[in-house]
Amino acid sequence: MMAILREARLLFRTGTALAALLFLAVFSSFAVATGLHEVSRQEQAISSMIALQETDAAAVRVFAGQEAGSAAYYRFHATWDAPSPLAFAALGQRDVSPGLLRVRALALEGQIYESEAGNPELALPGRLDFAFVLIYLAPLVLIALLHDLWSSEREAGRLASLQVMPGSRWTVWGARALVRSGLVLVALVLPFLAGALIRGAGMAETLIFLGLILLLVVFWSLVALLVAVRGQRSAANAATLAAFWFVVTLIAPAGANLVINAVTPIPQGAALVRENREAVHDAWDTDRNATLARFYRTHPEWSASEPVGIAFDWKWYFAFQHLGDEHVTDVSKDYRNRVALREERAGLIGWFLPPIAIQRSLHQLARTDINAQLAYQDRVRAFHARLRHYYYPYLFVPKPFTPEDYDKAPQFSDDLANPMTAPR
Amino acid sequence: MRRAFLIAGAEWRLLLRSRLAMIGLVSLLLLSAIAAVSSASHMGAERDLRQAHQVETDELFEAQPDRHPHRMVHYGTYVYRPVSALAAFDPGIDPFSGTTLYLEGHRQNSATFGAVRENSSLMRFGQLTPAFVLQALAPLLLVFLGFSMVSRERESGGLRQLRTYGTRGFEILLGKGMALSLVALAALMPALAALAWIGMSVPSEAGSAALVGLGFTLYLLVWVVLILAASALVKSSRASLVALVAAWAVIAVIAPRGAAELAGRIEPLPSRAETDLKLAAELRQMGDSHNANDPFFTAFRARLLEEHGVERVEDLPFNYRGALSTQGEALTSRLFNSYFEQTAAIQRAQAAIITRISLLSPAMAIRRVSMAGSGSDLETHLAFLKQSEAYRFDMVQRLNGMHRDQLSFADDSARSRDAAAERRTRLASDAWAEIPDFVFVATGQEDRRSAMGLAFLALAGWLGLGLGLCGLAARRIEEAAP
Repeated sequence: MMAILREARLLFRTGTALAALLFLAVFSSFAVATGLHEVSRQEQAISSMIALQETDAAAVRVFAGQEAGSAAYYRFHATWDAPSPLAFAALGQRDVSPGLLRVRALALEGQIYESEAGNPELALPGRLDFAFVLIYLAPLVLIALLHDLWSSEREAGRLASLQVMPGSRWTVWGARALVRSGLVLVALVLPFLAGALIRGAGMAETLIFLGLILLLVVFWSLVALLVAVRGQRSAANAATLAAFWFVVTLIAPAGANLVINAVTPIPQGAALVRENREAVHDAWDTDRNATLARFYRTHPEWSASEPVGIAFDWKWYFAFQHLGDEHVTDVSKDYRNRVALREERAGLIGWFLPPIAIQRSLHQLARTDINAQLAYQDRVRAFHARLRHYYYPYLFVPKPFTPEDYDKAPQFSDDLANPMTAPR
Repeated sequence: MRRAFLIAGAEWRLLLRSRLAMIGLVSLLLLSAIAAVSSASHMGAERDLRQAHQVETDELFEAQPDRHPHRMVHYGTYVYRPVSALAAFDPGIDPFSGTTLYLEGHRQNSATFGAVRENSSLMRFGQLTPAFVLQALAPLLLVFLGFSMVSRERESGGLRQLRTYGTRGFEILLGKGMALSLVALAALMPALAALAWIGMSVPSEAGSAALVGLGFTLYLLVWVVLILAASALVKSSRASLVALVAAWAVIAVIAPRGAAELAGRIEPLPSRAETDLKLAAELRQMGDSHNANDPFFTAFRARLLEEHGVERVEDLPFNYRGALSTQGEALTSRLFNSYFEQTAAIQRAQAAIITRISLLSPAMAIRRVSMAGSGSDLETHLAFLKQSEAYRFDMVQRLNGMHRDQLSFADDSARSRDAAAERRTRLASDAWAEIPDFVFVATGQEDRRSAMGLAFLALAGWLGLGLGLCGLAARRIEEAAP
């Protein structure tokens, strides 16, 4: 204990070490503040969309409230992926994939891939969030603090006298390393905990997140100490460690991504949506009752419905909209699963590069990773299915449709958006 | 001057003999080559793919059967953002923005299928492109090779020795600088070769390619003088290395992210859903086509009837429904354009903030030069969106024109009761070939040059600062050992 206090006092007297720690503390606090601001902005966007959508639905109700087909055609429904309590710490993919999407009962494939109105020049460098501070900056600070643990003493000519002190191994080096890594941990953990408290994050996920922070600090401390103990000059240690950091956090992931993309080709999204459009629009030039018969193959419960004549009929319209989706179901599933497969393969890289594994786990906990994005799309699909099935009785029976029925149309719900309270 | 060359030669021989320096340089060249080849092949494949999609889509459009023109308005078309020749060097925002845009009547869709949503999350760590290797990796290698060039001499007494032979401070720095510049030149070679190759195969891009090459040369020179100055001014080799790596992290890694974060904060962009909903509400205010008594559309009908001196829309010399569609589309398109300009203005303001901050970070300045020169910056994407909307509007209005002029109102009104009338409302399929194909006009060389202006100024400023610091360092050397 005495040793630790002594080392702490020593550390606070060295300018560069203190500066490095301060640098980290400032950035991790700034990153947490940024994350909190961004998450509240996302929540605001969701509530503002929901409110505007209600006004919109009320306006559509005036002219479409009496007819199921018009209602299904004109009425949009808001869906959203609310940021999780830990999203502030790892903003992840939420800047490039929409967290809100409005859908109609029309063919879904033409709607579900819409993008958010983001500035790509802001997405390009990536976010300055807590995960960035942890994965990129904390290792640099640890390297700065630990690379010359022995060499600085040797270069100052004190090493020999320190080595002969009784019980020196622990009391000098152990305490010194522990104090330095410990303070890095503090600079990271305190701002994070403040953010987690403000967002009311669950105990379990907060603890796991803390565990990941600890893991990262331990990993880089060990790496730095392993290099430092070899007895090279301070500068050589620093250069080796910085190069290692560069390879682990920049080169290896970028290279791995190239390899993953090469071995995991993905169906053309552009071809998929165009194929969907072809299938939908061909219906206008096809026998209408034949189209309906095809629809009844997967929806036999409506097959007793009257055949349609030459007049426009919404039930035929919505039948072919859905057939358009059915036409590309396989490609669409393949497209989705291939994205998931690329992400899964990225996970394999984590076995070789612990920082990558930690980064992925952070985003998984924060539910801002690609899998969370795909899960949101799955929820949109489920909601869309509910939506069209809601209208079918009014179209195929046809059950009379009133403004009250318009009001009773299914709504996307937040419980649905966050089915899991525990991390996956 | 001869002494400077001697020092450069000695330093260069030392580098050649150092195993670590050689490993560093060779791995940089290797990475550079991998990046150049993989980026060229990837962006080349991407270019071919989008071209093929465009051709296929245009063919599909023309091959549509006899149809009511309004069906074609809803059938719509797709446009694909072309890949610029220099995107192989710096793909810039290309993978971070949608590349496929669906154009249809009454609606403005977003560009979809950006690579960033199809890649694993590893992509967000950075991409192995020639531009990235030069922006991030090359400076770090220069730091490793150069941080102790002067401080090492001071620590070993070499500086004093050189001074006793009458070597001037600036000669020492010039010699060391030449040696380090040679490393920078070697690092630049693969990229310059790639740029030259693109410039020769696409002569119209040669000017931009040359400017991008010049930009990267300046950028690495900035690092060379900064490293020399740090090595000469900071008290020990270790401190010089720590300071340089910290500077590198701030300039190349933290600043770009911080600037983006700040820009997004100062100029927040409303969500697409919010914009769409506000647009829909405003459209309802202007004219509600679902309301039979809407003042806007009632006035439009009254004006048409008066202009042609008839009592009923049936008696108009053209198809009133087509005229109505034309009028409605003009209304929506005007709103689309005004909302687009609003969003574009916010995005441009964000980009301007980033450009201004890039005065503080040469890595951000070179990124601006490189993306603007390569035609892979925000402006290119905005130009694509704007031209697509203009094309969409033109396509829809041509089809609405056919609807108005070539279909009779009587048939049009009876088509859902009378099969023969329905057949008469279908235009022959050759009509679709009258719609011109989409041709994207990339941002001009002049616009690209002016987008680079401030960034070049930043690089020049940094070079000046570095040289000033070197001048100071040269004086210090002479003062320390007179």
